[in-house]
Amino acid sequence: MKSLQELAFKLLSEGTVKVVIGYEEGPRGVRPAFITDPAQTSKLIFDRRCTQNLATYLNPRRKHITALGKAAVVVKGCDARAVAGLIREQQITRDSLVIIAVRCGGVLEDPTSTAELTADTTSPRCGQCEVREPKLFDHLVGELPPAPPVNPRRSEQIAAIEKMTAADRMDYWNQHLDRCIRCHACREACPMCFCVECRAERALPQWVDPSPTSRANRAWTMMRVMHQAGRCVDCMECERACPEHIPLGLLARYVADSVEQRYGYKATEDPGVPAPLGVFRTDDGEEFIR
Amino acid sequence: MTHRFISHEKLSKLVADLVAANTRVIAPVHAHDDAEQIDYLPIQKLEDASLGVQLPRRSAKEFFLPTTEVILQYRCEKEGVKIEEVPSAAKPQVILGPSPCDVAGLEIVDKVMSWDYRDELWFGRREATTIVSLLCSMADATCFCTAVGLGPDSVRGSDAMLVPTAGGYVVRLITPKGEALFKNYVSDQVDALDARVDKAVAEARKRVEANMPAIPADFAASLERNFDHPLWKTMALRCHGCGACASVCPTCHCFDIVDEHDDSERGVRRRNWDSCQTARFTLHASGHNPRASQNERFRQRVEHKFSIYPSRFGEILCTGCGRCSRVCPGGMNLAEVVGEFRKLATAAPEGGAR
Amino acid sequence: MNLYQPHLMRICEITDETVDTRTMKLEFQDPAVAESFKFSAGQFGEYSVFGEGESTFCIASPATRKGYIECSFKATGKVTQALRRLDVGDTIGFRGPYGNHFPLDVMKGKNIVFIAGGIGLAPVRSVIWTVLDQRDQFNDVIIVYGARSVGDLVYKRELEEWSKRSDVKLVTTVDPGGETPEWKGMVARVPTAVEQAVTVVENTFAVICGPPIMIKFTLPVLAKLGFPEERIYTTLENRMKCGLGKCGRCNIGRTYVCKDGPVFTAAQIRQMPQEF
Repeated sequence: MKSLQELAFKLLSEGTVKVVIGYEEGPRGVRPAFITDPAQTSKLIFDRRCTQNLATYLNPRRKHITALGKAAVVVKGCDARAVAGLIREQQITRDSLVIIAVRCGGVLEDPTSTAELTADTTSPRCGQCEVREPKLFDHLVGELPPAPPVNPRRSEQIAAIEKMTAADRMDYWNQHLDRCIRCHACREACPMCFCVECRAERALPQWVDPSPTSRANRAWTMMRVMHQAGRCVDCMECERACPEHIPLGLLARYVADSVEQRYGYKATEDPGVPAPLGVFRTDDGEEFIR
Repeated sequence: MTHRFISHEKLSKLVADLVAANTRVIAPVHAHDDAEQIDYLPIQKLEDASLGVQLPRRSAKEFFLPTTEVILQYRCEKEGVKIEEVPSAAKPQVILGPSPCDVAGLEIVDKVMSWDYRDELWFGRREATTIVSLLCSMADATCFCTAVGLGPDSVRGSDAMLVPTAGGYVVRLITPKGEALFKNYVSDQVDALDARVDKAVAEARKRVEANMPAIPADFAASLERNFDHPLWKTMALRCHGCGACASVCPTCHCFDIVDEHDDSERGVRRRNWDSCQTARFTLHASGHNPRASQNERFRQRVEHKFSIYPSRFGEILCTGCGRCSRVCPGGMNLAEVVGEFRKLATAAPEGGAR
Repeated sequence: MNLYQPHLMRICEITDETVDTRTMKLEFQDPAVAESFKFSAGQFGEYSVFGEGESTFCIASPATRKGYIECSFKATGKVTQALRRLDVGDTIGFRGPYGNHFPLDVMKGKNIVFIAGGIGLAPVRSVIWTVLDQRDQFNDVIIVYGARSVGDLVYKRELEEWSKRSDVKLVTTVDPGGETPEWKGMVARVPTAVEQAVTVVENTFAVICGPPIMIKFTLPVLAKLGFPEERIYTTLENRMKCGLGKCGRCNIGRTYVCKDGPVFTAAQIRQMPQEF
């Protein structure tokens, strides 16, 4: 997209940033790009295949990226909410990066696909999107495409699970989580999982067995999902990253809906709005916390 | 190697007989959670299997190196600690229809598993297993088995190989184990079998040979020389360090050893899959990490596969199956990385004659 | 049983060398193993607390003594902290011996300079005692040992023993500021002590072990004195799990510390990619 490429060229050649984190064409489809040379900015693209949430690369523990210097990052609305989350939780400061937001018409679930956007191919998260024109940005580029088709798969799955008895739900999740191999790709792809030492990898004390056993896999997944309550931006990168195709996006959506029902809060692009579980208020309704 | 013919019916009977005799038969099957995926799972009858449809999500290594495996059990008693024998997991099994890339990976890993210390956990299962691979016609643009010295027709590690043909399969009998398995099920008909196999092989190889030229013998040395090349600072930026690549890889075998309590008296020691891609893999208790960033960790994976393992064991630790590139959430591509470093190796030296 | 099965060991003696360093003397519970167990100075093992895990230490006792082994460790992580909670009479596991060893055969008839810092004396101590147990097979023996302070010196009883021997030249030193009023040894960093204590380089081997910073500054001193890198031996450490070459964790380039090491010459280390 020309305006994106020209903007990136300007930012790099003027030295405003040292790297532009965006999307490019890879050998197997769209993939993240790290452009440091203004001459390479023509590689930057944005289209319906740009599924990845690039905010995860802003995590300060990714030293090989922070070593490149000040970054500009290309974000969709969902990604911008993750950037806001990182700022809200003081992992990065607002002025430490340049945010290039792109107007978005929805993305394919699979960035290596070349299909058109249909009810089957569109990411299930896009149908509910309220941030197709992002609000957190230094630069806003692109034309606003039409709204994406709605992929009902996830809401149908959640509805089906909600009708199950507790025992059947447990079977459903065990059947999936038994395949988990504890690669933690879900964690690594998640922009909000930025902990330098993940609780699951702490040995002193050991909270969760590191082994890929049924009980430990359940503990790991539940721990990670609960730590996302009020923080998850529903980018569904966890599900896309999982080599075992465990439907982690269902949990992400469910937890986000639960937080919205209880606290009236949805992940927002405004870093100034505190997340319900990340702030202490003296007028908190709960006794135990006073 | 001899060629025989087996009909679909006879192969079906063979599977049924094995199952009846309590031999586990594992084959590629449509995944339970996702009909578009294929997994290696136990079957009860041949009709359960989906042969030659798609490369399974995981390699076959988990049947020899499980994702998690108890290596000892202990019990703390008043008089001290007792270590209990772990029941042998080496039950007879047949793996039917794995791809040659998955099977060759097993033979390649045999080398490190027998390096001075023989890993009986691995070899017990290897010896108890008969492997009947399937000639692969599933190659796509991401595969490169021929570049690493293998191929869709490679019989490395196989006891027998099935080549689809009219009415059934040509069975390439490779080892005595394979011959014994098929003895009472194959017909004596040998006419034209060789020709059928040759034709199938030629077609299968054509699909994948164009993807990458053969890796030259001196690539291992040039990769070692380029250990400090600045390219390593640019290759791994999009890598998440998750190790999903290692989990689906037929040859990645790195593991962790951990203890677990069952209760205050009893527990187990386990061997679990692990990966050099994770940040903690080489982390010392002091906090020092020799591979402190993802650049070094990614370099280790490539060097281990294409330089270290070849120099120690004479084998490339890669079968070109392409899974790592297909599964990577960050869009890393091993073939591309290998290609970049091969370009360095063949770059003309400054000045002077070639 | 399989190759990951440890020997059962009884803790028969515990010595606190310093505030944070402990030595354990371990006996094999199986008398047949106690009788047959052999190792060479420089080798290591995997010591386990059942339920907590395994930890890698060298065997700190000499190869010439039978029926028991010793290890010294600091309580840094999960397993070492669990080890510290154990008492005499408790059971731990031991897998080994693994790795290569100091090539004492090559050093016979020659002089040896042992240089160690802090807990680095542990693997060197194994060699020292192995040499002293066959004293007549070696020429001059010099030991230069230092620590940050008097309190950080380990194996204090043995330093006492070695200082009294006429066939050993022992130089102990503490860093400036680490001395006590009673301290009679040198006050200097180990590299400086080495420069002063070592006068003969011909037909002499150096065996050195200690914190990386000590090694970094001592190697140039040895070079200046004229030691060729092939005659300087040290041990490398790396994160380990299996200890026998299979888990893929401890390599430095193509060198597996658990199989090709942990004993290396300075010349070998120079050849390695500097990723440690």
